[in-house]
Amino acid sequence: MGKLKLASFWAAACGGCDVAILDIHEKIVDLSKVADIVFWPIATDFKYKDVEGYEDGYIDVCLFHGAIRNSENEYVAKLLRKKSKVMVAFGSCAMFGGIPGLANFKQRLDILNKVYVESPSTVNPEKVFPQTEYKVPEGELDLPEFYKDVKCLADVVDVDYYMPGCPPAAHQIWAVIQVIASGNLPPKGSVVGAENKSLCDTCKRVKTDRKVKKFVRPYQIKIDPEKCLLEQGLPCMGPVTRAGCGNQCTNANLPCRGCYGPLDGVIDQGAKYISALASVVDADNPEEADKIISQIVDPAGTFYRYGLPGSLLRRAK
Amino acid sequence: MGKKISIDPITRLEGHGKINIFLNDEGGVENCYFQIPELRGFEKFVEGRPAEEVPQIVSRICGV
Repeated sequence: MGKLKLASFWAAACGGCDVAILDIHEKIVDLSKVADIVFWPIATDFKYKDVEGYEDGYIDVCLFHGAIRNSENEYVAKLLRKKSKVMVAFGSCAMFGGIPGLANFKQRLDILNKVYVESPSTVNPEKVFPQTEYKVPEGELDLPEFYKDVKCLADVVDVDYYMPGCPPAAHQIWAVIQVIASGNLPPKGSVVGAENKSLCDTCKRVKTDRKVKKFVRPYQIKIDPEKCLLEQGLPCMGPVTRAGCGNQCTNANLPCRGCYGPLDGVIDQGAKYISALASVVDADNPEEADKIISQIVDPAGTFYRYGLPGSLLRRAK
Repeated sequence: MGKKISIDPITRLEGHGKINIFLNDEGGVENCYFQIPELRGFEKFVEGRPAEEVPQIVSRICGV
């Protein structure tokens, strides 16, 4: 078998997934023994035109990070899908929207107004927004269309594998690269580089079946490093979040943020969390339950922190 | 009208960018435009979130 041809691309992303790949450190040398990079904007100088020139299926594996926020993201996703044998939705943004997906709580025009008119550092009295086509004295310029909604990668192309995380943990990335290099690919549609159990199941904190009487924000209490965070009243996403990150947040004495997304068979992590909360709230009647739950600040933004575009809700009205 | 050279995407940095260079009939540079084709709208979607959330959200503006 010849060397693998590997591509890595960011759409609406921060580059953290690319850096997570580099976090395999010296193993990057081993990677270069089994794979040639044929497109990786953060690290190599290939252009879209180069990719357009590849034969269909030329790329063996494409690690695609980032959500689909604009028409350029969608164009490149479709281009890379055509050119790649295996397409991996890599990281929370590609899988279910990620942090850029929080924009689905807002309206397109409000976002443009905030950024290009209202923001304190902007002077734009004529309220000019970016144009998809613009004539300059020398010719024409174009920009991608900013979509109404943030979408997931699977909303625009066929996806073979999913790898969650914000970002995916480096040790998991290395394990997945080894699987890819071995050629023993899992069934299409599998979630790779993570476990199919909850973060709770892998958490060593002491649980006591204590019910929650009051929800708090992290700065309001001295967080006990030994005890279950949810039982301390912090809305920890551990019960409904896939394990695989190495429990980085809970080990740092902070609640799980939910970035690895839901487990197999769950389509809506936020709804699942509402169900989980219902079983821990200590209330004698609906009014008391309502009072306790109301102490969670911004429940929608918390329960759908990483996954609104991939949820059943998809966006706020 | 002269030639247009597009450098798309510009690489080895965080984020998306492209450069369009317009040449005149003599082949010299007439004008050059640097464009940022991406927008995610952090300025807007941090609104309404708890203050302690913001550092963890805006750290995703650039993860490089």
